[in-house]
Amino acid sequence: MISTLRSLPTVFSIGLQRQLAYRWNYLLRALFSAMPLLVSWIFWQSAFRDRGTIGDYTLPGLLTYYAILLIVEAVSSPADDDFQISREIREGMLNPILLRPLPYGLYRFFLFLAGRCAYLTAAIVPVVLCFFLLSRAIPLEWENLDPWRGLPALLGSALLQFSLTLCLSLTSFWFLDISALVFLVYSFEFLAGGHVFPLDLLPATVFAVVRLLPFAYEYWFPTAALCGTLSHPAWVAGLCLQFGWALAFLVLAHLIWRAGLRKYTAAGG
Amino acid sequence: MRLLTLPRLWWTQIRYALTREMAFRANFFAWVMVELSWFVLQLAFVGVVYHHVESVAGWNRNQMIVLVATNQLIQQIFTAFLMPGLTKLPELVRTGKLDFVLLKPVPPQFLVSTAELEIGPLANAGIAALVACMGLHSLGIVPSMASVAAYLLLLVTGLLVHYALLLFLVSLTFWIIQAESVLLGYYSIFQVARLPREAARGWFRIVFTLVLPLLLVANIPATTLIRGIDPGPMSLFLLTSLTAAFLASLFFRRGLLRYQSASS
Repeated sequence: MISTLRSLPTVFSIGLQRQLAYRWNYLLRALFSAMPLLVSWIFWQSAFRDRGTIGDYTLPGLLTYYAILLIVEAVSSPADDDFQISREIREGMLNPILLRPLPYGLYRFFLFLAGRCAYLTAAIVPVVLCFFLLSRAIPLEWENLDPWRGLPALLGSALLQFSLTLCLSLTSFWFLDISALVFLVYSFEFLAGGHVFPLDLLPATVFAVVRLLPFAYEYWFPTAALCGTLSHPAWVAGLCLQFGWALAFLVLAHLIWRAGLRKYTAAGG
Repeated sequence: MRLLTLPRLWWTQIRYALTREMAFRANFFAWVMVELSWFVLQLAFVGVVYHHVESVAGWNRNQMIVLVATNQLIQQIFTAFLMPGLTKLPELVRTGKLDFVLLKPVPPQFLVSTAELEIGPLANAGIAALVACMGLHSLGIVPSMASVAAYLLLLVTGLLVHYALLLFLVSLTFWIIQAESVLLGYYSIFQVARLPREAARGWFRIVFTLVLPLLLVANIPATTLIRGIDPGPMSLFLLTSLTAAFLASLFFRRGLLRYQSASS
């Protein structure tokens, strides 16, 4: 147990070095990620013409939601962890990992953390610069930010996204190519996760259903918590659902892993 | 090289790619579902916005559906025929497999662009066309034959803009070895094409109309169907898209000069 814990900083360090080798990639990603915010600004500015609010949102409030969403995405979204795991299983690269006294899920979690840290390191300058430039042109509401409620929701989102990614990618034990499945789930995450619009703009009945799904706790919930638009009871209930879903996916991933290992054939020397 | 050689070669590549695609039929249906879900996502966005407002930049709900469907139609045709080949360029450069392309007696840009085909997006292009027709039907519009012919020409022009942008982005791979993020860049930048042109103002409108005419890609064809032919914006669109494609091609050739073969 102690040797396992002792090896984790090394796993993190290897992951960090591997990811920072592609810092140009991260820089480009960070620069491109500002584009949807710009497009949202232009679109919603037109939609708000001649009206003060849409749903419960003012234009600055809505744009702040999209800006905070960028941060949530940077902190909590796995980059290509799903395809890395899939490749490890498909190409037999799992063999050396299986020989180590380290649970695979924990190993991947530390690589995921390293990936997020590498992304934040490479992206922090362009993202801050983009925010600075955009905040001069776009009205944003920073005064209502609630980091105390937002931070636990952000960590929950990272855990939830990691556990869901793990579940999806472990299906590689059975499927040759999981990219269609991954992109299908991406689209659900975008639509029902509040990536395209805040979920509270949906009609009330649809919103009530969507709030029960895990996707809402990947983007919408942490973003709304950071923006300070959630009441205390809604925040507590959201956290319970978020960590509940994350736990459920972790248990599911464990079951898939055990079933998959029984099917896995290690070949080669 | 004779004029008909390249189309004949492309047709051969399409037949080969079709055979390869049909070997994985489950994958084909899976990708149809994936692309369809992304289209539903766009329509859901329109639905949510128009749940709260009646018009955005002068476009009502059904007009916006025609715009979004037109954008989807162009994107899916591009995804079927040209995008799969172009997105392989970073890998070809990194692994040195571009050598095999350069050795063939055909322009490398043509071979890189047409090497792959995905037929799944074509099914979704059909669905997008159907949605555009339904949008027009809801508006009570029956476009004239001339408008439909102009629309088809403008679809091809829109494809040129897609092609120019992606060719430019993937050509960055000659300078940046790990350039897979360019695909993310392509999708991010192309969100501009879904905007109603009237919503954009100032430098944004100038850049995305005259330099990289993304604001025209879906707007001009959709407007042609809804309001009829307007020669001014159509000519501007043709001119800017041809210029963008020409400049992207120059950039690709400039990048090729930097390419160092991986063979020993």
